[in-house]
Amino acid sequence: MARIKIDHTKCTGCRHCEIACSLNHVAGAANPRRARIRVFREGHTYFPTIAGPFVDAACTSKNELVVGDHTYNMCLVCRASCPEKPFFIEAETGFPLKCDFCGIPPSPSCVRWCNSGALELIED
Amino acid sequence: MYGRTGRNLRVNLTENDFTIEESPAKFEEFFLGGRGLGVKVLSDEIEPGIDPLSIDNKIIFVSGPLVGTGAITGASCNVVTKSALSGTIACAKLRGHFGAELKFAGFDMIIVEGKADSPVILSIMDDKINIQPALEYWGRTASETEETFKKSLGDKWAGRETYLVSIGPAGEKLLPLANIINDGFLSVGGAGIGAVMGSKNLKAIAVKGNHTVTVADGNRFVQVVTTLINKLNSAPLTSQSMSSWGSAFFVDLCHQKGILPFKNFQGSHFAEIRGVGAGTMPGAFELRSRGCFACPIACIKKTDVSNPLFKGKGMAPTYLAAGALGYNCGITDMTIIGMANMLCAEMGLDPIAAGGTVATAMELVEKGIVSKDDLKLDLRFGHGDDLLQALTLMATKKGHAKRIGQGAKALTDEYREPKVFMGVRGIPLAPFDPRAIQGMGLHFATSNYGPHHLYAYTFIEEILNVHENLDPWTIEGKPELVKRYQDMTAVMDSLGLCNWPLMGLKFNNFVPMVNSCLGTGYKAEDLLAIGERIWNIERSFNLKTGLDPKYDVLPERFTKEPILDGPAEGQVSRVDEMLPEYYSLRGWNDEGRPDPDKLKDLGLGG
Repeated sequence: MARIKIDHTKCTGCRHCEIACSLNHVAGAANPRRARIRVFREGHTYFPTIAGPFVDAACTSKNELVVGDHTYNMCLVCRASCPEKPFFIEAETGFPLKCDFCGIPPSPSCVRWCNSGALELIED
Repeated sequence: MYGRTGRNLRVNLTENDFTIEESPAKFEEFFLGGRGLGVKVLSDEIEPGIDPLSIDNKIIFVSGPLVGTGAITGASCNVVTKSALSGTIACAKLRGHFGAELKFAGFDMIIVEGKADSPVILSIMDDKINIQPALEYWGRTASETEETFKKSLGDKWAGRETYLVSIGPAGEKLLPLANIINDGFLSVGGAGIGAVMGSKNLKAIAVKGNHTVTVADGNRFVQVVTTLINKLNSAPLTSQSMSSWGSAFFVDLCHQKGILPFKNFQGSHFAEIRGVGAGTMPGAFELRSRGCFACPIACIKKTDVSNPLFKGKGMAPTYLAAGALGYNCGITDMTIIGMANMLCAEMGLDPIAAGGTVATAMELVEKGIVSKDDLKLDLRFGHGDDLLQALTLMATKKGHAKRIGQGAKALTDEYREPKVFMGVRGIPLAPFDPRAIQGMGLHFATSNYGPHHLYAYTFIEEILNVHENLDPWTIEGKPELVKRYQDMTAVMDSLGLCNWPLMGLKFNNFVPMVNSCLGTGYKAEDLLAIGERIWNIERSFNLKTGLDPKYDVLPERFTKEPILDGPAEGQVSRVDEMLPEYYSLRGWNDEGRPDPDKLKDLGLGG
């Protein structure tokens, strides 16, 4: 199955992936708030996060995220379009957004525009 | 209305009020947007002769039409005003994410007029425009301002999407050397702008928004941008050198070519070269690349806490910072240079202007023209502590550093030693010795924005030889090269693009991106003609401020004293020989004033 592998240590926070996603889903519309991938910054680190389904269960089993000597709140990298976090929700309709790998065959536009190596399409 | 939002925000701080205006379509056709549009509006709306720090001056923040669309390196927000340092026009290039967010907030341009009674922050948050009191922010450094403002929103998620441009203490104290900062980046060419913002009591502007920027031909645009990313990736300079080291990569190269200035341009070769340059950066800093909006190059290198002095903040020095704050002050210790760079970014000092001032003061002391007691400051070449102390005192206008805080020009005028001032029209030179790179020397003498390399980066052809194999020491073909690069840069700034992609791409490569984004049918020549129009309107404005073209000269050190040592030994700048050809290529008269017919041809007549 094709998956997008995220290496946050390589992300430069340029947010080109957000625009790639937005342009690919509505032709000619550049708007990060319509993107199904968002880059969250915490201090000096950037976490690219891809929109997934909202599952209640994820919140109840929330773990702390430890990267190096920093501990991050799991909500930061949570993929859900959740009521607590105003991301991955289309502003006009309130409709939740979810990554669809830019259709079939998968050639996600975010990966194509990511020049830092933070996003990579892999088969496993 | 592709690429643009079509709306401008006009804020009058005296009245504490704002209006939203439609931007005139004719201006866009004539000046593209960004820098061109900002300069047009400024020159229409202010009297050129006014005092830059008076209530009549205006400050314009304008994002080009390609900003926020996903066009590669389309991130630049131009800040146009009458400079407090040079008294002529200033146009800073603000990198980072502010420019794009301004578009998403629904505006191409913010025009700030008047003066607030007390410190304010202008916030444009999801269509809510607010001029809010900011007394508690006054005196804070740039990063403190950003952090405090984001916290004050009371919503941890909103803070992440908010971008600010602010001034540090230097701008508040109306220092002519003050620059503006966003997200830890000092703007490029912003010396003299921080004080204008300070004079309006405007501490910061915050933006966040939900608007969509529309691209004319989305499918084609995506294709073109993908091709350009791949092209940049196959060019060694943009894919490896710049991505790995940022512009600090040029330190070694410039030293080898004899361009890197040492001790206020007194030399260009120094034995201490071991232990300078990009190679020493990993030892001094933990590097991590950081990209401006939509940038595949990511030349900015942020540092982590490996050095206790940084406390988790700060950027690794760029070539500019390393040259101006380091080598030109005789300092080779990367840790000190990094610290000085961070001080500038926190306090809001421009590294070229501040570094140039310190270097000038150091030379005055070294030559015994000024005594240490006179300045009440220790200023010795090569002493990092002296530099750091001078910068801190300058920025906060404390002690006797007040005097050097007025800039290198004021200092040399005071001591009647104008020959020690290494600058043009009040602005210190960017750290490139013009004797060893003739084209850039001509640009420094003629630039509308003072001697700053990023308004015509002829370095790409003269030293890097990316597209053309030119000898930096000859003058043949240089006037044409300089004119072309000046016009080209005017276009790229007006569109909102960075200069760096020119190290991997030709100007022609951008044309399909521009056309598919804006729905236009420009050819490269059409765009260059717009660039020429912008250059001429800037020149005309500068002439109206009282600038005399006889100041299109470099300091005597460059034209009369040959370089004493190093690889470019014996070279002098031959800018006088190039000027007549440059003027004639520009269609200007022998005195360097645009002919009325030329202006008419460019659509600037009447």
